[in-house]
Amino acid sequence: MIVCVAVVGHQNNPLYIQSFTDADDALKLHHIVHCSLDVVDERVNNPKKSGPTLNETFLGLLYPTENYKVYGYLTNTKVKFILVTTDLDVRDADVRNFFRRFHAAYVDAVSNPFHVPGKKITSRTFADRVSTIVQSFGLSSAA
Amino acid sequence: MEEYPEELRSPPVPLVALVGCSDHHRPITTHLLSQQTPINTLALPDFSKLTHLLQRSSSSSSSSPAGFLKRDWLIKHRTKIPAVVAALFSWDHVSGDPAQWVQVCSDLDDLKAAIRPRNTKLLLLVVVGKSEDISEDRLLALRKRAEVDSKYLLLHNPDPSELDNSLQRLSASFAELGDTFYRDEGRRIKARIEKKNFSTPDLQVRYCFKVAVYAEFRRDWAEALRFYEDAYHALREMVATSTRLPPIQRLSEIKTVAEHLHFKICNLLLHGGKLYEAVTWFHQYIGSYKTLVGAPEVIFLHWEWLSRQFLVFAELLDSSSATLPSVSSQPLGTADQPLTEWEFHPAYYYQLAAQYMKEKRSALELAVSNSETFNDNDDGSAESVAPSLYIGQFARLLEQGDDSAIQSITDDEYTRYVIAEGKRFQDSFEIIALLKKCNELYSTRKVQRMASLCAFQIAREYFSLGDFSNAKQFFDGVANLYRQEGWVTLLWEVLGYLRECSRKQGALKEFVEFSLEMAALPVSIVDSIQSKCSPGGPASLEQRELIHREIFALISGEARPESFNGLDDLKVTGENTLHLEIDLVSPLRSVLLASVAFHEQIIKSGVSSLITISLLSHLPLSIEIDQLEVQFNQSQCNFIIMNSQKHPLEAVQGEQHDHRMESSPSLALVTNKWLRLTYDIKSEQGGKLECISIIAKMGPHFTICCRAESPASMDDLPLWKFENHVETFPTKDPALSFSGQKVAQIEEPDPQVDVTLDASGPALVGERFLVPVTVTSRGHAIYAGEMKINLVDVKGGGLFSPRESEPLSLDTHHVELLGIVGPDWEDESQKFSDKIIKIQQSFGFVSVPFLKIGESWSCKLEIMWHRPKPIMLFVSLGYSPISYELNAQKVNVHNTLQIEGKDAVLISQRFMLPFRRDSLLLSNIKQAPDSNQFSLLPLHESTVLVVSAKNCCEVTLQLLSMTIKVDDGGTEKSCSIQHGNEDVGTAILVPGEEFKKVFNIVPNMDFPKLRLGVVHLKWKRHCGIKDRSGLTVIESEVVTKHELPDVQVELSPIIVTLECPPYVILGDPFMYHVKIRNQTELLQEVKFSLADSQSFVLSGSHSDTVFVLPRSEHILCYKVVPLVSGLQQLPRISLTSVRYSARFQPSIAASNVFVFPSKPHCKMVGITEEREEEPAVAD
Repeated sequence: MIVCVAVVGHQNNPLYIQSFTDADDALKLHHIVHCSLDVVDERVNNPKKSGPTLNETFLGLLYPTENYKVYGYLTNTKVKFILVTTDLDVRDADVRNFFRRFHAAYVDAVSNPFHVPGKKITSRTFADRVSTIVQSFGLSSAA
Repeated sequence: MEEYPEELRSPPVPLVALVGCSDHHRPITTHLLSQQTPINTLALPDFSKLTHLLQRSSSSSSSSPAGFLKRDWLIKHRTKIPAVVAALFSWDHVSGDPAQWVQVCSDLDDLKAAIRPRNTKLLLLVVVGKSEDISEDRLLALRKRAEVDSKYLLLHNPDPSELDNSLQRLSASFAELGDTFYRDEGRRIKARIEKKNFSTPDLQVRYCFKVAVYAEFRRDWAEALRFYEDAYHALREMVATSTRLPPIQRLSEIKTVAEHLHFKICNLLLHGGKLYEAVTWFHQYIGSYKTLVGAPEVIFLHWEWLSRQFLVFAELLDSSSATLPSVSSQPLGTADQPLTEWEFHPAYYYQLAAQYMKEKRSALELAVSNSETFNDNDDGSAESVAPSLYIGQFARLLEQGDDSAIQSITDDEYTRYVIAEGKRFQDSFEIIALLKKCNELYSTRKVQRMASLCAFQIAREYFSLGDFSNAKQFFDGVANLYRQEGWVTLLWEVLGYLRECSRKQGALKEFVEFSLEMAALPVSIVDSIQSKCSPGGPASLEQRELIHREIFALISGEARPESFNGLDDLKVTGENTLHLEIDLVSPLRSVLLASVAFHEQIIKSGVSSLITISLLSHLPLSIEIDQLEVQFNQSQCNFIIMNSQKHPLEAVQGEQHDHRMESSPSLALVTNKWLRLTYDIKSEQGGKLECISIIAKMGPHFTICCRAESPASMDDLPLWKFENHVETFPTKDPALSFSGQKVAQIEEPDPQVDVTLDASGPALVGERFLVPVTVTSRGHAIYAGEMKINLVDVKGGGLFSPRESEPLSLDTHHVELLGIVGPDWEDESQKFSDKIIKIQQSFGFVSVPFLKIGESWSCKLEIMWHRPKPIMLFVSLGYSPISYELNAQKVNVHNTLQIEGKDAVLISQRFMLPFRRDSLLLSNIKQAPDSNQFSLLPLHESTVLVVSAKNCCEVTLQLLSMTIKVDDGGTEKSCSIQHGNEDVGTAILVPGEEFKKVFNIVPNMDFPKLRLGVVHLKWKRHCGIKDRSGLTVIESEVVTKHELPDVQVELSPIIVTLECPPYVILGDPFMYHVKIRNQTELLQEVKFSLADSQSFVLSGSHSDTVFVLPRSEHILCYKVVPLVSGLQQLPRISLTSVRYSARFQPSIAASNVFVFPSKPHCKMVGITEEREEEPAVAD
């Protein structure tokens, strides 16, 4: 189950962060998302020689905590998407698919002429769309 | 890692024993330890000790074991049970008398009996002396007796020369025998495993462990690893099956043993450089044991155990990270089991260790509280519980007199024991130490967010321990990062802690600062987070408003909020005033932001302009400011704005204030709305006027000093810039918001003084030219006036041309400022004794006396031109319109005037020979006529010099005299100069007119280069009808000098003189003589020819050659009758001197004569004389 998704701006400031669990976990999830930015930085600054990760937006598993797995995605405008899930057995394809849809939703949200680039995303439509994507996470593979 | 026994942590080292001949033990022991594969040595002085050592404990039986591993088994094999026993015998004893031999044999027998049960290997070492001959028989007998192979009977020679050799042989044999021993032992136990020759599965674990240890003794790491893994897997399977112990203790034992095995495995993997395998292994290990939580009452044991596993693995990674290859070069995980880079980093495991330690602490707290409620009757049974014989087991030690017996305990007892043990430790310090380590490791890798998360956790631990100063230090660092990156909710939490820390510490100022920062955080309803654990409360708008009200209630001193009860330190009272500073980087900028803009960038001094002060606050509720103080760098401009609702201006004006007071109807700051205040500003001082700060006073004892910012260069509020909120301009005029500055330049007032420069016409070279300067005050009195005068070349550069900047002419300026003449200088010199005049060649400085308004003062500048040159005269007057004070505001007036410097007269000269008298000058003939540089004058002949002076300026000049002055006495002898006319009188020279004067020069000496002297022309400006000379020039004569060119003097060998009457009459015959004078000592042959002329008929020879005697004269006579009247050309004669081959013909002018048609009827005497005297002028 996805417990938290976040959009982080290129100055590492949160643009959108939404947790899908009880309120108690929210701060902890904020911490996890914030810390995962370190891994993103590390990945971006020291790219591995291995081919597949080169020039790819999907950053893969960022770091495992005891209960969560954190995945990352970096757009070419240096906006980061972070996904925190409690599923310990996640298929890469599902995560990639999720990020693709999430990215599309983000692009639609920031294409709003009333949205000021670099500011937090407060669009309700975006929030609804994200929660739909989150709920459908993993379902396609199960089906 | 330190809690493991030493024997587990380090790889085992083979052990051997030395018996007998204890003198020789030390070198052998040292040598064995220093080997590549070190060997530990037990040195026993006599044989009985060994027998005692090798005794088997009686308890070892085949009955079912009470545990997996005996606690002392490993240490026993490492320190007590040797693999090899080396028996040392002295050769004396071996070869000695029968009694000694018998002793040797009995010792040997005892030894054999002692080592047999343990299969210990035997090595015989016979210590021989230096020069003892060895009897093979005795050695053979000894070997037979000991039943050892011949290669294990060694001779040991302690002699220094032989010692090394024998030691090396010895260590090789030891190593070989030790290897054999451990292999045999391992093989023996391995056989048992293979045959499954064990009663309980417990034994399988034990056997595998033993085989692995023996393999380690042999440094066979691969086998060791395999058997440790076997033991580990066997153990894991027993979790569900073993029933030997009560369940809690059973699980505890299994976990402890598993921990040991795991430690060995990881250690071996890491030492083998298999980092990736080690990490994977660790994950499998944790994965399989993490679920074995155990009984709920001792769940804390599980967390403690887990925490320890992570800690140990972190330490292992940490200690081996230096030797391991870097993580980046390794593939990160496989497709199905991805590993991230952090999983290779010890900090990650330290962090998890700390996390599990926290779990343990909370579980323990629960267990302790449970045990206290349920087991009030603590019978102290936990006290005598101690670790038992087996690893991971605990038992009660029953002491009955001297004997002690071990009794197994129930799970209840065990639980009580572990809880009692757990209470003894301060977990918080453990957690802090772990997190600090983690923080340190992350920080060194510049992983700042993880590091700050650790720091946050550390701070929270300190906070819960009540160590607020430490906590604050860590919280501060974390808060900075969150502020920087705009993580508002995280910042809210940290600030909540910080606020609570300062509240607990009684730091009022910090408390207010943190509270205000929290209240001004952009926490909205959208992302509000209900966090119950944070002391700051939930991050929400309501909470912000709550904090806001609390703080403003505190600072107004109206009511004490309930939350401050019991904290008397937090009080804003008379002596406890509170002053906050908000600078450009302060996080409190969102509380109060002051933007100041001058409406004009440049303000005239004394002229009032407008300034707009804009204030913005992001506090959730509106605030009312009592008074605002605006501070400038010029403190006299400061002013105070009062809130007229609270303090009516009339009431305030009664008080004495230094500063200007203004009043505003309302000083209420509404959330995110600029409060704009526009006021007049006027500065008397010049220079920069900058608004420094705005001090807002709220309540009787609370002030906020806010650094003023220019709207043009104002940064966004760091946290609010990411928010979607209405953004407005600080000033009404949007243009001012983009360009407004908090600094304005104050210009000096317009000068009310005129400086006039008056010069009539051009200056003439050589005269002292006067430029009158008049200072007239129109509206300013002049204090401390200083006038600076500069002469500048119009074309730029200095006043002397660079070509002439040679040392000689360096100091001669072409234009020079000679002096400054005041109007009544002499009279007032005493009066203005402090008057300063400094004059350099192109720069002057004069102080101007005090002038009242309307007065004027003037002086004259004396300027002398040495060369014609236009210059620019700069006059700058600096004065203070107010007072003599040094720092008084200065006003500057400038004026410039361009003045042409011109030559007054142009002097030229011309040499002429007397009329109809020509000298043959040889140099003239030889040279081309053009290239004649010097005028050539004939020696002893009179030459006419005409000097003409032309007025080339626009001023009428009056000439006073013209003379030729000879510089040196020598020239006076060489030539004589006669003035043609004595006096010029008062010759007036209008512009363009030329004045000529004739001089006669007779060179007396043959001198190749003759200096004739300098023409001195004395003149002055001609005073016309209107006398203006007093205004511009000092009434004085000016001497213009002109140096005459050098001439060449030459003796002419032949002089030809034509003689004829000045005029002739038509038809009247006259005589025409050509006199050829030979001035040399030689005979001169002269050819002559006479050309006929139509106008004349003549008698005489046309051409001939004559010889002229030395120093004599030959005269050619012609009688000529003119035929035509008018100016006629006489027949021209041309002469050729044969000696010099020089042709000579008189000029046409010289051979012209006027023919009158008849004899003129006028008186001609005077005219003739005149013409004879002044022939040159007529020409």
